[in-house]
Amino acid sequence: MTDRITTDAQSLIDAHGDALYRFALVRVRDKDAAEDLVQETFLAALQGTYRESGPTAERRWMIGIMKHKVIDYFRRTSREPIQQADPSGLAAEDTFLDDGHWKPEAAPMQAWTEPPDRLIERRQFWEALAGCMDRLPPRAAQVFTLRELDELETDQICELLQLTPTNFGVILYRARKQLRDCLGSRYFGQAQEGLNA
Amino acid sequence: MSRRASPIYTCQDMSQLLSDAMDRTLPWHTRLRMQLHLRICLLCRQYQHQLTLLRAVLRKSGNQLTEAEHTHAPGLSPEAKARIQRAIDSHDR
Repeated sequence: MTDRITTDAQSLIDAHGDALYRFALVRVRDKDAAEDLVQETFLAALQGTYRESGPTAERRWMIGIMKHKVIDYFRRTSREPIQQADPSGLAAEDTFLDDGHWKPEAAPMQAWTEPPDRLIERRQFWEALAGCMDRLPPRAAQVFTLRELDELETDQICELLQLTPTNFGVILYRARKQLRDCLGSRYFGQAQEGLNA
Repeated sequence: MSRRASPIYTCQDMSQLLSDAMDRTLPWHTRLRMQLHLRICLLCRQYQHQLTLLRAVLRKSGNQLTEAEHTHAPGLSPEAKARIQRAIDSHDR
């Protein structure tokens, strides 16, 4: 008797399908690809042996499988051209003066004083962040999530996505800056206005 | 970065370098010049803090991004669920 998950597929899909789908979508940024990855993950999970118990462990286990599927996906598709939207963040000339100083309207004027532990608790923060990440160009979102969510090293990501180190640096610089600008106005800006009011 | 001979980086230089420093170890002389800039520039210190905070939050609890209670992001469509179920069923047999 193996420890193979024998629960019916339906309840497995109901329990983990949405979370796995969102996990994939935020990384690959393609609905069809994300659905395929969910399916592959379930198929792999049903063939694997599963030794822990409880829904949390089960979720963690399936997410672990999904992580590998996402990496495989990037390996398969990295040579395909990606639809590259214009970066929707502020351009350099909108952020900096000719002499390289911050423009007052684009400068990081507010101190973000909420500690990480507190931010993590805030639903509004996660909503703002998810919204801001949706607006990243696809390639930027991929590089950013691999680096900051999955904590891959620089050279691993460059190899996986076929990027030069210079490209990698520019993409992450823009992604971080765009997220900072977006969160500044969508989340921290509101808090700031509230304080000043 | 900067092609100027000035020993002090501009804020624009700094914004790129602060990001780079999160992904690789920069040469010691670069880090030294960055420290010089940070000492006199509140805005770049805040920018650095904000980038660091963003990383800290995501690495501590990035999965909350995709948990249902924290997002309005749609889950799987009913069609997709049905399709996946069929795939699993046919695979089982």
